[in-house]
Amino acid sequence: MDFFVQQLVNGVTLGSVYALIALGYSMVYGILKLLNFAHGEVYMMGAFIGYFVLTALGGASSPVLPVAPLLVLMFLAGMLGAGLLGVVIERFAYRPLRNAPRIAPLISAIGVSFFLQASALLLFSAQFRTYDTPQLIPFSTGIEAGPLRISLVRMLVIGSAIVLMVALTLLVSRTRLGKAMRAVSYDREAAAMMGIDVDRVIVATFFIGSVLAGAAGVMVGLVFERVFHFMGFIAGLKGFTAAVIGGIGNIPGAMLGGLLIGLAEAFSASYISSTFQNLIVFGILIVIMLVRPSGLLGSPALTKV
Amino acid sequence: MPRIGTDEWVEQQELRTEYYTGLTAPARRAFDRVGPGPRFFAFLAICAAFPFLTDSPFLIRVGVNVLLFALLALGLNIVVGWAGLLDLGYIAFYGFGAYMYAWVSSSQFDVHLPTELAIPLVVTASALLGLLLGLPSWRLVGDYLAITTLFFAQIFVELALNLDRINLPWRDQPLDLTGGPNGIPGLDPMRILTIDFLQTRDYFFLLLVVFALVVVGLYYVNESRTGRGWRASREDPLAAELMTTPVNRLKLLAFAMGAAIAGLTGSIFAAVQTGVFPQNFEVTLLIMIYAALILGGAGSISGAVLGAVIVASVPEILRTPENARLLFYAALVAVLVATVRPWQRLAAVAAATVVFGVAVHELVSLAWPAGDEGASAGGSLGWLLDSWILVPAEHQDTIGNVGFVLMVAGLLALTVLGGDRRLVVLVPTIYLAAFVWENRLIAQPSVTRQLLFGALLVAMMTRRPHGLLGTPRVENPI
Amino acid sequence: MKKSRFWLLLALVAALAVVAASCGGDDDDEGEPAAEDTTAGDTGGAEAVDCTASIGIMGPFTGDVAAIGQEQLNWAKFAVDQFNEGRGTSFELVEGDTQLDPAQAATVAPQFVSNSDIVAVVGPAGSQEVEAVGSIYGNAGIAFISPSATATNLTEDFETFFRVVPTDADQGPTDATYMADELGAQNVLIIDDQTSYSTGLADSTTAALEEAGVTVSRESVSQDQTDFSALASGVADDTDVVFLPWQVAANAQLFGNQLAEQGKDAVIFGSDGLFSPDDFKIAGSYVSSFAPDITGLDDPAIQELVAAFEDEYGDFGTFGPPTYAATTVVMEAATAVCEGGEEPSRETILEQMGQTDLPESILGQPIRFTENGDIEDATFFIFQVAEDGSYELVQ
Repeated sequence: MDFFVQQLVNGVTLGSVYALIALGYSMVYGILKLLNFAHGEVYMMGAFIGYFVLTALGGASSPVLPVAPLLVLMFLAGMLGAGLLGVVIERFAYRPLRNAPRIAPLISAIGVSFFLQASALLLFSAQFRTYDTPQLIPFSTGIEAGPLRISLVRMLVIGSAIVLMVALTLLVSRTRLGKAMRAVSYDREAAAMMGIDVDRVIVATFFIGSVLAGAAGVMVGLVFERVFHFMGFIAGLKGFTAAVIGGIGNIPGAMLGGLLIGLAEAFSASYISSTFQNLIVFGILIVIMLVRPSGLLGSPALTKV
Repeated sequence: MPRIGTDEWVEQQELRTEYYTGLTAPARRAFDRVGPGPRFFAFLAICAAFPFLTDSPFLIRVGVNVLLFALLALGLNIVVGWAGLLDLGYIAFYGFGAYMYAWVSSSQFDVHLPTELAIPLVVTASALLGLLLGLPSWRLVGDYLAITTLFFAQIFVELALNLDRINLPWRDQPLDLTGGPNGIPGLDPMRILTIDFLQTRDYFFLLLVVFALVVVGLYYVNESRTGRGWRASREDPLAAELMTTPVNRLKLLAFAMGAAIAGLTGSIFAAVQTGVFPQNFEVTLLIMIYAALILGGAGSISGAVLGAVIVASVPEILRTPENARLLFYAALVAVLVATVRPWQRLAAVAAATVVFGVAVHELVSLAWPAGDEGASAGGSLGWLLDSWILVPAEHQDTIGNVGFVLMVAGLLALTVLGGDRRLVVLVPTIYLAAFVWENRLIAQPSVTRQLLFGALLVAMMTRRPHGLLGTPRVENPI
Repeated sequence: MKKSRFWLLLALVAALAVVAASCGGDDDDEGEPAAEDTTAGDTGGAEAVDCTASIGIMGPFTGDVAAIGQEQLNWAKFAVDQFNEGRGTSFELVEGDTQLDPAQAATVAPQFVSNSDIVAVVGPAGSQEVEAVGSIYGNAGIAFISPSATATNLTEDFETFFRVVPTDADQGPTDATYMADELGAQNVLIIDDQTSYSTGLADSTTAALEEAGVTVSRESVSQDQTDFSALASGVADDTDVVFLPWQVAANAQLFGNQLAEQGKDAVIFGSDGLFSPDDFKIAGSYVSSFAPDITGLDDPAIQELVAAFEDEYGDFGTFGPPTYAATTVVMEAATAVCEGGEEPSRETILEQMGQTDLPESILGQPIRFTENGDIEDATFFIFQVAEDGSYELVQ
């Protein structure tokens, strides 16, 4: 039982990171019907910004600030930086392709992704950077009940992911901007006719989605420590997968999809075999897709006749 | 979004009225009058002459890579371009073909089939696998199909990596199917009838023959009832179904044909490389094949080929720093000539850039002598740039990094600014670009190569959203 | 109104990026360029030789293992600078990025063959890449020397192939003996990272351990994995030693941390891929290495060299120093050809490299090759990681 709970926590930690990345994919898709393949690189940049803030403030072993404000600063900088990057990408790589075939932005997204990866290699070098979290928050702090251990860092990551997801849900369901986003997602032309500034809504969507990716980057830095130029590639694929599994364009779906993949990875690695972990996860996901062809929470595609 | 009230025919009408203008118009009209057949044979003739014009093994190898890419893009074009199915599992068929060839022509299982038998076997098996993995397309559409097929691609790599120690109840030794991360080295070279394929050059001709056959075949398939059926089910599956088009069968056929071509290409690739390794079939290659197809124009045979030529050769040209440098400055000049008009203004910009550079150079030399004492990269342009570009002796990397970021900001600003502001930003950006190149990028050719390739993809897609040779079409909203 | 907001945004981006960029550059740039104040560690004081040649270097300089490739590239650049400085030669490096993909390696190799300036090649990094390019270089008669390909069969299969690192067959038994005899391990868990280096080493270690009567279980995990906590918590309680034949030291550091986080007390034993005092510092772990001292723990000459490198390029792990050694072997061979009054060519260098005899090297031991091109007298050394993260030689 303890082992099960332990794996649950491991899975939820990983899953909440995937979920945050998936949210960015899903939001953008909901509005533009566009797969933003450069999203993983935004997450990578967020992780790097968090790392540089940490280093500038003395590093993990001798920080000049107490831990709490330090973490807040890292998150804020990572999120803001990633958000701005997302907006710039939208403006220069996607807006010119607004009315192009649906597959064209995919290639420009891949171009952006190559460019950002190479830029990171050029600017930050290829070395693995590490947040060195145990120096900052020892893994021994946290809940320890018999064999069950939940470190503070994990609780922090899961907690902030929940806060961000609740905030996003409130934003989408309660604010004017959220209403506008839903309207644009439902029918862009009609929304424009109703006086909604579609461009502004799209920019806001990219900003929010990228902010979440930036937060995910800092979280990964904290809990999985390593930061490097290629980290966005795999994470981007996972986020994309999570978004589609949940029903792409559907916000609770993206959260669910992320958690599901995180849990599937943790449980298959610990209960079955780490060698075939990815195989098992992909197998599960294929079955889900065949049973629910529009994702877990997605509505069946409407065909306009 | 199509303009309201404009349909495909009307858009084409506009294209017709514009037609060709300017100096090149007669040449382009003449090119159009030559039919696709002669054009294709002219292209083949040029390709066939290529190995006789050079004896550089590198160029031949790049030629082989281009043809491999072209075949892969053509196969993908059937599924993505014609049938409109987003198949991200395509790379698995390529890999399967390669591994299949390895199984029947190496010491892995001590099976050495003659090539005449091995290739049909590989193609048939790949096509069957295509049928099988195409089945989800009956149920899944759009991006849901894409992700499911992407799982197949990833599963393929996982299997290739891990099927080297399979414990079977009826065997004492674990079965080694794929060689794991080590792959299967030491494949037999191909031998068709009496011709032995030993050198890369031989495979170039083999690939060229296969390429010609595939292109001709695809051309006729596209013109046939099947081709029309694919396009109909791509545009509107529901309507096509109602018009008695067998949509599901056509989808499977597209998958199977694409897989057959990919499998065939894979077997030749395996023979060229004399081995198969899991790293050959990763998602990055899939991305490059997609880039080739969409850059060239999905749905067009010549587009797929052109895209393959670009995607397979540009990164190779960029490998050599000196080439990359020349290309960089040539592109800079070309963009300036193409975008700054009239010529008086262009001349003013050029003069201003030179003056700006010299001024910055002199000012910095006065204020901070170390700012220009570093060793410049030399090369054929070195003497031209020496008194114009600063090469700091200290903190060269840091200054270069800052310059890089500012340059990117400047370039982005140029794409949105108009009028005088543009000119104000233009001059320092050009200087900055040259500065970053000489100080930072030239020392890192491998990274620069990726950087430029990424920028090229973005620039080409935003200029030509339909691909270089694609035709605009109105898409159904999903 | 709209325009001004845009400018504001652009200014913000630029400012942010400048901050990030300058942070990123810091490591690489502190102090003067180092080449000026140090002489070549192993060859100082010789007469200036007029010798010009280009040396190709292949490695994964971009892509997912760029950390390894860039480390190799930086050390090769460093070796060339030092050598030219100390000996008055003018060697040049030509780089060819392979991303660890054999197909790309097989495109780079003909490029190097076509470039008549290139007399020898350092690399490629991976064993499968060597498989893919071996016959290309063999046919062209070009010597190529890998700083990291360890699959045992390579030197037998390819005539012009050399390497400065010992093979999997050398390392596995040494590590296994130490685990069984010195650590008294009963149950060993071997986790490979699904690379050719890793599975080869895992296989040879498994065989040696089982011979010594140790119970071995085997897992494997992808090198690209983000999280090892599920794997770490799945480590059985009676496991004494976890053997990690991995290439990415940062991964092992995370695995070690997560092992502690999940409350496991198994000892980590790393292969030479983890020998990286900057990245892997789990106290109490063991790491083996193909050299007694590549990071300058004791030897002052190596210390000086390492300090000079770190000034210019920053941290490094286990992949750099062998690249330095490999590049030096090539340059020594070329210099010897020049000193004999000949132009360095592919044939002369190939011949000269077979006769390499460096009494001292950055690897802390002499470099000589067997007839096959393997390094002579390969021995493995084992280090323990102390509480403060420093490495101590224990065998």
